[in-house]
Amino acid sequence: MQYQMNEFLFAMILTELEDAVGKENCSTRAIDRVTHSVDYYWLSRMWADRGCRMPEADIIVCPKDAEEVSKVVKIANYYKLPVTTWGAGGGTQGGALPVCGGILLDTKRMNKIYEVNTEGMYIECGTGAIYKHIEWAANEVGKATMHYPSSLTCSTVGGFLAHRGIGVCSTKYGKIDDMVLQMEVVLPNGDIINTSSAPKHAAGPDLNQIFIGSEGTLGIITKAQIRIFDQPEERRFRGFLFQDMTGAFKAARELLQKFKPSVMRLYDEAETASLIKKVVGVERKGAFMNVAYEGDREMVEVEEKILLKTFAKYGAEDMGSDYGKKWWDEKITFFYPGYMMDIPQMFGTMDTIAPYGKIEEIYWAMKEAIETNFPQAKFIAHFSHWYEWGAMVYDRFIIDGKDVPKDPVEALRLHQAVWTCGVRTALAHGGVVNDHHGVGIKLGRLMKEQYGPAMQVFEGLKKTLDPNGIMNPFKLGL
Amino acid sequence: MNLSDKAKQHVDSCRFCWMCHHICPIGNATGHERSTARARALGISLVNRGAIELPEIMDNIYECCTCGGCVNVCVTGWDPVMFTKETRLKAALEGALPEYINKLVDNCLETGNAYGETEISAELKKAVDAHSAKTDTLLYLGVDARYKVACQAVKAIKVLEKAGVEFTVLSDEPASGSQLDFLISAADETKKQMETAAKVFGEYKTVVLYDPNDAKTVKQLYKEYGIDVKAETVTYTTFVAGLLKDGKLKAHNTGKTVVFQDPYQLSRDLEETEEPREIIKAFATLHEMLLNRKETVWAGNLLMAEYLPDVIGEVAARRLYNVESIHENTVVTACVSEYAALKSVKQDKIEVLSIEDLILG
Repeated sequence: MQYQMNEFLFAMILTELEDAVGKENCSTRAIDRVTHSVDYYWLSRMWADRGCRMPEADIIVCPKDAEEVSKVVKIANYYKLPVTTWGAGGGTQGGALPVCGGILLDTKRMNKIYEVNTEGMYIECGTGAIYKHIEWAANEVGKATMHYPSSLTCSTVGGFLAHRGIGVCSTKYGKIDDMVLQMEVVLPNGDIINTSSAPKHAAGPDLNQIFIGSEGTLGIITKAQIRIFDQPEERRFRGFLFQDMTGAFKAARELLQKFKPSVMRLYDEAETASLIKKVVGVERKGAFMNVAYEGDREMVEVEEKILLKTFAKYGAEDMGSDYGKKWWDEKITFFYPGYMMDIPQMFGTMDTIAPYGKIEEIYWAMKEAIETNFPQAKFIAHFSHWYEWGAMVYDRFIIDGKDVPKDPVEALRLHQAVWTCGVRTALAHGGVVNDHHGVGIKLGRLMKEQYGPAMQVFEGLKKTLDPNGIMNPFKLGL
Repeated sequence: MNLSDKAKQHVDSCRFCWMCHHICPIGNATGHERSTARARALGISLVNRGAIELPEIMDNIYECCTCGGCVNVCVTGWDPVMFTKETRLKAALEGALPEYINKLVDNCLETGNAYGETEISAELKKAVDAHSAKTDTLLYLGVDARYKVACQAVKAIKVLEKAGVEFTVLSDEPASGSQLDFLISAADETKKQMETAAKVFGEYKTVVLYDPNDAKTVKQLYKEYGIDVKAETVTYTTFVAGLLKDGKLKAHNTGKTVVFQDPYQLSRDLEETEEPREIIKAFATLHEMLLNRKETVWAGNLLMAEYLPDVIGEVAARRLYNVESIHENTVVTACVSEYAALKSVKQDKIEVLSIEDLILG
């Protein structure tokens, strides 16, 4: 049944939600609506910078556990109100923006650390926990999560799960989807389910992987068991300068057949020029790669020998360990205002992933497409998550503030055009819509272009689990 | 709102930055997104751009405890406390303060304390009267100890008595200006209180500041506001650590293993981290929490409990959880206001002690 919201009905619904989560955890205050209307997505920031108000939720609710989440979604289903789930708002794709109004469900009250299990090597926590907090909990018992994205302090466990996040040590320890054992999920109908008690099984498809990356469109992840690891006895760094990226890819592929470093970061020529200047004081052409390897000291010794031997075979110049150590200490510094790109610049990271044989081609094709179609844009890239079979390219476009339209709608148009051009180029050369930032509202329109008829699997899940379409509408292309 | 250029620059840098999201003690305790530096900056920036009205953000401006945790972790050096306090000042000047803040300000102006108290407890009066004679050393108790946690004020006096110190305690202490500074920042009324207090302090050779909040105000803010104090000013913990060092106070082992709650005013603002530890180690075994010294997490206070009692309870409970998580059951504080906040949590797992409790046994 279609209906128009009115003041009376709104007040009624508000009392129901207050009953579900407590009055103090249910807000219609302007500061809450505004705060949850802008996330890390460039368009929402630009919109606010121009003095415009982004679409706002009507009611913000902060449930404390799955039971309260269940009550909220049942109310939302009854009144057919949109529910947008919010972690900490650090997402770049607008995935947490309540573009249709309705209810915004902030998960951060679900931040309890239930268990630090050093036998099973996991931490069980509410998904509203900021990831840095579970890192602290792991550190207290001499362990580590090994999930170190630049947004470690900005984002929740649920946020990383919702969009399939990744950290700088992924090559050895994996993505977030490798780091979760069991999850508790509230389905759109309010049912509370648990995924399998262990992730590696043959009891049908992996339920974890259905909800990880679903961006709140299929349900709300409320609890998770997150893996922890022993702190490495030793972590070493080494920098290398390759003549070009082609040689670096060959060397990296060969290395990964032998062992997995924790960090591998290959920079394109544009980024290499500035980085190498920092390392040796002069500009050098080529492709710089920073590698970290860690673990038991004896293993690290062996791995270092293999690394040096393998990379020497491809003509890599050994640049020593100073840069890598400095980078590690300051790996998050680059993301503070003053170091990081910011408005009035327009910028974006169009990360994608592909097997060796395609990934370098994707890089060159995207670079050409962006620089040809948008000559005002600068294009830089690095490759920072590696597998035995391929790698991810973290390619960025940056447009100076003077070239960004002041009119917000015109700025939006330019932003959309650059993204469409970049991602379509990636798709055309064998890439995917995104590697680890997710889809959100930013890239939803391109999902069908990647998946084609395969998209019906997601649509079928959506239709079955969320027949009223209330969960995070217009995200993920669903 | 007519903010300074410096404040505007910091606001515009913080409004889209999430890097200190993990650190706000209030945000962590409540789970509310608005209790983050970026939310506060976003709100102020939207006021500056005419997209929202100042009164709509003022409650949130007063949800900041100004502990500086966010400032401490910012690599670039952006200062959310600075622009939050400046917004409070501008709101005061524009008549946009929330009514509950107006009431606290009025109390400060009328009685010298935000609580509107005029009488101290009989027990404290007796202890204070015993030190009414003028000496070289003034023990300044501060409003929280005098009016809200008198038992600790008495103990603070007893510790100095035990060490044989000759000192004065005023029956009518002037306000240090710390509460007004929190409420309306560097307003004329705040500076006037500070000047009055500085004049009184100037009559002594040494002023021992019991409350870290007053210590920060007198030792740091007075300088920033150009207010000169003729006396030597010293924190209570530094003074007591000196008494131990000089042998005037005798160490003894209580057999306890304790955790220390660093007051941010000491550890971050005054860079005093080791003096309280020297005292504690003279009486107990110290086990450090993960977030200690400059990284300390604020555990609540009495002033904000006047208008956000539930939130302060949650903040204190969360800090107690940090003690529990390292399997300890005693926490020692050096701040009377944090002591009160931690004590107010209904729980029976963690014993809350002040430094004076530890010394006096």
